[in-house]
Amino acid sequence: MPDVKLKNVVKTFDKGRITAVDHVNLHVRDREYLTLLGPSGCGKTTTLRMIAGLDLPDEGEIFIGEELVSNLPPEYRDIGYVFQEYALFPHMDVWNNVTYGPRVKGWEEAKSDRIGREMLELVRLFERTDAFPSELSGGMRQRVALARALSSGSKLLLLDEPLGALDAKIRTALRYEIRKLVKDLQLTAIHVTHDQAEAMAISDRIAVMRKGKILQIGTPQELYLNPQHIFVANFVGESNFLEGYVADRVNHKLTVELRGGISVKSLNQNHKKGEKVVVAIRPEVLSVTKGEKSGVNSIGGNIEGFRFEGNNVRYEIRLQNEDMIVVVRPALMAEWLSVGEKITVAFPVEKSFVFSYPERGLRTELALE
Amino acid sequence: MTATVASLVIFVFLPSFFLISFTFTQWPEVYTEVFANPLIGNTNWIEIQKYLSLSLRLAISAVAIGLIFGIPLAYILARKNFWGKGFLEDITTFTLVIPTSGFGFATLIAWTSIFGVDSVYLIPVINVPFIMLVIHIALTFPYIVKTLKAKLEDMSTLFEQASGTLGSSPLTTFRKIMLPLTLPAIFSGAVLAFARSLGETGATLVVSSVYTTAPIAVIRWVSQFNFGAAAFLGSILIIVATAIILPIEFVLQKKGVSSFSIFSTLHIEKKLLKLEDFASRKLPRMRDLIVLLFIILVVVLPIIVVLNSVTLSWNSDPDTGKVTESVMYQLFGPSKYFSTLLDATFVSFASASIATYIATCIAIPTVFLIKRYRFGRFLRAILRVPLIVPTSALGLSILLLWGPEGLSLANPGIWLIILTHIVFSVPVVVEPMLATFEGSDIPLYEGASRTLGATSYNTVESVSLPLLKRGLLAGVILSFTRSLGETGATFLVMGSATTIPPLVVNMVESLAVPAALFASTYLIAISFVLLMLFRKVTTR
Repeated sequence: MPDVKLKNVVKTFDKGRITAVDHVNLHVRDREYLTLLGPSGCGKTTTLRMIAGLDLPDEGEIFIGEELVSNLPPEYRDIGYVFQEYALFPHMDVWNNVTYGPRVKGWEEAKSDRIGREMLELVRLFERTDAFPSELSGGMRQRVALARALSSGSKLLLLDEPLGALDAKIRTALRYEIRKLVKDLQLTAIHVTHDQAEAMAISDRIAVMRKGKILQIGTPQELYLNPQHIFVANFVGESNFLEGYVADRVNHKLTVELRGGISVKSLNQNHKKGEKVVVAIRPEVLSVTKGEKSGVNSIGGNIEGFRFEGNNVRYEIRLQNEDMIVVVRPALMAEWLSVGEKITVAFPVEKSFVFSYPERGLRTELALE
Repeated sequence: MTATVASLVIFVFLPSFFLISFTFTQWPEVYTEVFANPLIGNTNWIEIQKYLSLSLRLAISAVAIGLIFGIPLAYILARKNFWGKGFLEDITTFTLVIPTSGFGFATLIAWTSIFGVDSVYLIPVINVPFIMLVIHIALTFPYIVKTLKAKLEDMSTLFEQASGTLGSSPLTTFRKIMLPLTLPAIFSGAVLAFARSLGETGATLVVSSVYTTAPIAVIRWVSQFNFGAAAFLGSILIIVATAIILPIEFVLQKKGVSSFSIFSTLHIEKKLLKLEDFASRKLPRMRDLIVLLFIILVVVLPIIVVLNSVTLSWNSDPDTGKVTESVMYQLFGPSKYFSTLLDATFVSFASASIATYIATCIAIPTVFLIKRYRFGRFLRAILRVPLIVPTSALGLSILLLWGPEGLSLANPGIWLIILTHIVFSVPVVVEPMLATFEGSDIPLYEGASRTLGATSYNTVESVSLPLLKRGLLAGVILSFTRSLGETGATFLVMGSATTIPPLVVNMVESLAVPAALFASTYLIAISFVLLMLFRKVTTR
């Protein structure tokens, strides 16, 4: 059964000037749906290509199952790979694309045919077998690519931004289809994407990557509820960041003094007294009430911007200490507030995260490139 | 891989560079012949300088004029849609595929009969024979047009549109956006054209009259068994051609050249902008007209005149009425040119087919070598050399290497012709295949195929080659065409087995004008068919 292990894998390009993958360790369990998530250029596609054998690592080891495959050519790895732009052979029709794997592996014709039919039925494209790739819509091409990747009977499916080239609606629909397929066929899947919503919806676990390194691996819930890295707090979901320093620390409670002398409380995450920190608060955990109210973690402010987003409304609020903060509320749950109104925002003590202030500055640390 | 490299070295590189090593190893004899001949002293050296100087003046003028007309033509072909565009494109390709001796004769006849300019007429100041220049322009401007057009088609129109939305006139956009981005392409087109002009033999021989260019001198000296001087001049030509080609392969393949800031420093930018705006409104029609006129004068006119002359002098000379001066008489009369032409056709087709076949066998693995290995870039660069080496120098090289004077592999005749044609046929097949390779994401599909479990060999057979088919066919046709039309080298290695193009030169030299007219028409017809084939293969 295929699990995939990466041990200290390094890949550089341009004669070592660019480090695309930097000592990555990763264990993808058997039958797990794992997503490599990160901004473009973070090394996620290179990682996937190394697992497939399309690129070879400079250092480190890659195992598929028990076998060390680091330098094995792709054709001997027994994998299925879905390319970003599908790479359907333009000179072959759907049928020949899908049965290509079985044919080049020299399987019996009857077996190849049976697999081809099964795969095409699986992706519901049986009636288009003699169409050429150029005659198909984006979603159909995607499904042919999937059928072709699965036709080799491999239990390991690698997907490189498989939904990137599709329209938003089709993308969401296909997401669930792919996940269902993977689960039904009991495959191990490694999926590369830069779309955090897609990663959340489709994965068992997500590995967040930045600059060639994995910052955090966990279930979607873990990443959202308990980000271990300030970049993850921002990239998975959304966060407001308020700068301050630790004013007091009692047992598990931390008092952070923000700019303008505002104190907020949070749970201790191993920060020392006097340390410069950043408090991260998700826009959707903040409540907004009219007028000035006092209480724990209540901060006065002024609404400067309002945006209606359909399911949500989004307020841009200038706090009394001049920091800007974004609050997102369900659109139909409460009366909307208008620009210029004086309000108070508040958040529960246990729903904020405290991070050490990044050495290279907050902006650089959060930057996507 | 080793086999491919070995065959490349033996069939392509060795002949290309052998002449140089011959000149070195035989230096004492070469020196005596060129610089210290007991009878004529250094006359040969003085002549070499004279011939080279004419060749260089000719090449530079041809390229300069080619640029003036070629750049707008490339722009029109790449960016405009109009009725007859396909035809215009065909005409532009035509002089690349036509056997040059036939076309040279056509040009000569056209300009003498219509404008009364004969082949002796020298353009003042640059001292270049007029007709020779016209022919060189016709034979070289397609290189400029093709290279630039390909680059323009490759380039997104987004930049031009962006420039337009920012309020710049088409001419300003051309100067500030397109010219900087395409300058490398223009330059490499110009270099190819220059090299082509430097090596042109077939047509030049036909119209040379009293003038001698460097490649023609090589042929004349070889026929006088003056090998030393011929080898020396040939080596110079090979070195010059190599020296101008290699740098563009390595240096200029980069991105665009930054804009011409010199204009803004001279404070004429504003005036220039106004001028361009004004001209952009008035000029397009004039530009189209001038370009069209150019094409008609240098390409279409000669062809029409030859066709017309053939029909006029079919049964008798139209002016004198002499039957002996008619096409029919010369073909089937005592001189029996028709049967000579048939024999030549056989030799031509046989040698072109065999040379193309062998060249293709070498070229296919070469394409993969170039794309897969680090030394591929270098390989590709030196593969350009046989394309631009003056063919008469190449012929001499082959003669000295494989011929009775050298390893005695073959006597002058069809086999030596084939060996010669292989040399330039390999790069001719390789180039379009490489272009297709680069335009079709082959590495992506190869990767996809291998993730599906296909071995490299399987992948090449079932994915890469089918995807390269178009480029391969284009290369095969071009190679066949080039082989069919080659004059300079064939002259030196053919012995008694003549192909069609040298036959035309012989007809002109023995003043059998009607026979030459017919042979030229025949060549034009063959190239027309090949051109149609080429077009069918290369367009979707």
